[in-house]
Amino acid sequence: MFLALRELRAAKGRFALMGCVVVLIAALVGIVSGFTTGLGDDTVSALRRLPATHIAFSGDARTDQFARSLVDSRTAAGWGAEKGVQATPMGVSITRGSTGRGVPVDLAAFGVDPGSFLAPRVESGAGLRPGGDGVVISRQIADDGVRVGDTIVIDRLGIRLPVLGVTGRSSYGHVPVGYMPLGTWQRIRFSVPGAAGAGAAPPGQYSAVALRAGGGAVLGAADERLGTRTLARDEAFAAAPGYSGERITMNSILLFLYLIAPLVVGAFFAVWTVQRQPELALLRALGAARRRLLAHTLVQAATVVVASTLVGAGLAAGAGLALGSAVPFSLPLTTLLGTVAAVTAAGLAGTALTLRRVTSADPLTMLGGNR
Amino acid sequence: MTLRLEDVTVVHGKGDAENRVLDGLDVEFASGGLTAVVGPSGSGKSTLLAVAGALLRPASGRVLLDGTDLAALNDAQRARIRRERIGYMFQSGNLLPNFTAVDQILTVAHLTGRRPGRHRARAEELLEAVGLAHRRGHRPEQLSGGERQRVALARALFLDPPLLLVDEPTAAVDRGQAGALTGLLVETAERQDCIVVVATHDPVVADAAGRVVDMARLTAMST
Ligand SMILES: Nc1ncnc2c1ncn2[C@@H]1O[C@H](COP(=O)(O)OP(=O)(O)O)[C@@H](O)[C@H]1O
Ligand SMILES: [Mg+2]
Repeated sequence: MFLALRELRAAKGRFALMGCVVVLIAALVGIVSGFTTGLGDDTVSALRRLPATHIAFSGDARTDQFARSLVDSRTAAGWGAEKGVQATPMGVSITRGSTGRGVPVDLAAFGVDPGSFLAPRVESGAGLRPGGDGVVISRQIADDGVRVGDTIVIDRLGIRLPVLGVTGRSSYGHVPVGYMPLGTWQRIRFSVPGAAGAGAAPPGQYSAVALRAGGGAVLGAADERLGTRTLARDEAFAAAPGYSGERITMNSILLFLYLIAPLVVGAFFAVWTVQRQPELALLRALGAARRRLLAHTLVQAATVVVASTLVGAGLAAGAGLALGSAVPFSLPLTTLLGTVAAVTAAGLAGTALTLRRVTSADPLTMLGGNR
Repeated sequence: MTLRLEDVTVVHGKGDAENRVLDGLDVEFASGGLTAVVGPSGSGKSTLLAVAGALLRPASGRVLLDGTDLAALNDAQRARIRRERIGYMFQSGNLLPNFTAVDQILTVAHLTGRRPGRHRARAEELLEAVGLAHRRGHRPEQLSGGERQRVALARALFLDPPLLLVDEPTAAVDRGQAGALTGLLVETAERQDCIVVVATHDPVVADAAGRVVDMARLTAMST
């Protein structure tokens, strides 16, 4: 510590400069992580909340399944007849409307059977009733000023949805969710604007079938027979609009930051170690053990990297607080601590690249005499 | 307390660049007075000190410091001997930049696993003995060449080593200071029970030495 801290103090300008870079990298990693989690939640939290283990889409839908897949009641019934599987059809589509008081509402319409395991649990107001045309809205919509008792009128279709209750935060494709009976959902999904109310009854089709299957259930055979393609719930996240693209973008930013961090720290310590060769040679000539010089360099690196990472993480957390709920940003403490650990590890890995030069300083250069 | 080099040969460089510097050298040093090693530049004075100081392992021969053969030790063992039993003053570049005079001395405490904070009084005492009590908080760039060498001397004496090796102490020092520094070295050699070997081509130092070893004659005898 004696040497390490005195050298740190003597070169505080240089270390501060390097520290600032690490602070910024750590802050950026924290902020990008916050957006990755936040955007992910915003895209798939409704799916994550589904009390289902699997989702069966129609076999012809390979991408964007929630938009493209259509299954009929026979398929849903077929799944329901499978041994060890509970099944209920569900509908997903994105629409918009406004309340009688003129509050505009973007709505991810989730059609569910009010008597099934998909029925949303309400935090206030009442739950969905079979038959009726009500909607249970997620908290974000309530936060925008929509109340129980209001009526949401779907744009152009004129379908009227009395707000029955409010459930927790839930969104799909960056749009807050409203849960409604399947019949209501089908009218929204399949009606032609202008023909509202008049046309024939909508087709008995759904987006997919939500399944609850025990651990051992084999779903492949039923998929074959019913013409569906079943994904585990978490795999179905990729079927949500934009989810995969967002993940790839955010994770490649993170990947680059994790590559930059060790290179920056490594480059700094490489230059620092080269500059210090005369001192290291002197210390070796005075009999300093190699291990002690290594420890001394590591203490310096750890001090700067850990302190800067903590400051950077603090900045990221502060940014999260400042942004509030206006943007999809979520940085839980565990993610933050993970960030600190990962940036610290990356920084120290960068130092490790230079350690050989620390111990290879040649004490015989002290004999030169003309320094 | 003795230091004996027996049949020591040092080879600098390899292949075509091979340079045999000491060739079967025999020489012995004892405590009680300053020994000067003299000879023209390139005659192997620094090489002799480096071998005696466990910095350089000879190609062959034995280097006996109180019976221990330094040439037979491994790298880590020689580093340990250097930090615990040998004081070394180099021709220049002795001090760590940005460290105060006191901290230069306390570095030895640190390197030998002591707590520097507990040895501040001893460090200041050593600085006072070399006449630099008033310079204890000064960094190398604030000291003259002679003062730097005196800080290096104070540091070399921190552990009362049995062997003090000094390479061209007056090379980067003005004439007035050279005399004072030589006086300090002679005084050290007489007061401490310690072998003091000074490599020099400065007559001021050689004249003050109790014994003079001439590289030209040593190497002539051994060939
Ligand atoms: N690292 C080295 N590699 C090759 N030759 C060296 C090296 N160090 C010293 N020498 C050579 O060894 C000889 C003795 O050098 P040195 O011991 O420094 O002499 P002095 O101190 O008496 O001037 C010189 O000829 C010098 O060029
Ligand atoms: Mg020399």
